[in-house]
This record gives sequence, C-alpha cells and structure tokens, in this order.
Amino acid sequence: MSTKRTMTLNLTDAEMQVLEELCDKKDLSKTALLRQALRLYQVVESRLERGEKFFFEDDKTKEKAEVMML
Amino acid sequence: MSITKAPVALYNVERQAGEAAELWNAITDQQLADWEALWQPSLLLAIQRLHGAKVPLRQWPQSRHWDWRRKAASIRGMLANPAFSLMCAGVTQGMMILETTRRRCRIEVQKGKNLVYVEYVENAPWNRKELLFDPPRYRGVGSILMRAAIETSHSEGFKGRIGLHALPQSNPFYARTCGMTDLGADSNYLGMHYFEMTFEQSEEFIARGARP
Repeated sequence: MSTKRTMTLNLTDAEMQVLEELCDKKDLSKTALLRQALRLYQVVESRLERGEKFFFEDDKTKEKAEVMML
Repeated sequence: MSITKAPVALYNVERQAGEAAELWNAITDQQLADWEALWQPSLLLAIQRLHGAKVPLRQWPQSRHWDWRRKAASIRGMLANPAFSLMCAGVTQGMMILETTRRRCRIEVQKGKNLVYVEYVENAPWNRKELLFDPPRYRGVGSILMRAAIETSHSEGFKGRIGLHALPQSNPFYARTCGMTDLGADSNYLGMHYFEMTFEQSEEFIARGARP
C-alpha cells in the first residue's frame, strides 16, 4: 500500500550467487529477500540497542554463541 | 509515514445493510484514543455483564488485559510489524499487528517457508456477540483484517501464507470462516491453538469475499 522507490544494487558474482541461492531456498524474489533482510536487520539492531543479546543456541547441547553485530 | 486509507464495507446489523468503512495501514493516536475512551468502558461493561450472568472466568475474553497503547509504542517504526485499523462511522472497529520476519510455516507442504504471523487482532467490544452485545453493531471486521494479513503476505512475497495463535473464543472463526488449518494446541504458547493458511486456502478465502 505504501509508495515504493527504486534503487540499483551492485553485487559481486559471489554475492549475487548467495542471493540467488537464498531466493531459491526461501522461494522468494530478490526484492522480497532483500526487504526481509532489511526488516531482520532492523529488528536485531533495535533489540541490541535495548540492551538485549543475540544468540544462536545448539538445539542438542544448548550451547549458546553470541552473534556480534557490526 | 503517510497513511493509506482503503475503502471497505462492514455489515451494519441493526440496519441490515452494508456501511462504508476504511482500512488504515496504521494504528495512530486516533485509534488509541478510541481504544481508551470507547473500547475500554465497553469492555468493562461486558465483563460486568458476564460476571452478572455467572459466566465462568475462563470464558471471559482473554484479550481484556491487552494494552494497545503499549503494543503500538513497541512496534513504532519497525518494518517487521505492519499494523492496521478499521474505521467505520468515525470510530475504530478493529486493530491488528502483524510480524513478518521471525516465524516459519509448520504445515508439511509449506514447512519452513516464511509467513505473515498475526501477533494481535481485536474487534471492538460492541461487535462481539460473545461479550453479550447481541446483536453486535457491525459484522465483517475480522474477515477484512484477515484479508489485509493475506495481502501483506503477498506484498512480502509469502504468497498468502499466514499463521496465528487463536484465543479460544476465536477458534471457530479461523477454522470455519477463514478456512485455516488447525494444527492443535501449542504447548509452547499457553495451549492456544495454532492456525495456518496455505496459498490455496488464502485464494479460497479471498474468492469467497469478506463475509460477515
């Protein structure tokens, strides 16, 4: 429903390959995948700013690894 | 952010006729003021009626503790949380908050794929028969908001896939009216039933139209 603006994105071959693989895997268009990435990045940033930590947890060992964000 | 107001129609039960309404892609101070000044007193009246009618506590609306002002503040500016409100006769008739990043599909045919998750959706108290507003003022609020969730799913590239945990009173609405799959009680979510909609189910729902 919102107005959309167009931008050009320059990617290396390797980046484009990853993008295409992820699109394939997630059944999403390139635009949809990049919009998802932006939403996720904003969620993570906003929660880190609130003082929360971002972890991955091993389902079996319950070992946690903190994800460091730039 | 500019607010889009899409024309829709609700069914006015008293007049037995359609009535022009607007679907807003936001929850603004106007809706929050309605929630505080109009929804809250009606909800209190409903709870007093339920209490007076000796309706067991477990059948009272679980959403009675929801604080929309706090919910709206927590998602302000977040791309992952589109919000909608439904306006009719100058008054907020429904509100909904979605989540578009964290959840994945559970139905086998679409397992692991992205979906739009309905975090919160609520109808104004006077539109809810189970709150002893009989007849309710308007019908069709839930269907219009579910259609908005499906359209959001399409615009996100998720092909109409949506999911939600339902409050017990709403299970029949999601199963029968919306045609979603009931995946049963979710022990990780207070035992609430988890419902999910496939692309095909969303197409069927849209084709049937927003019916009251």
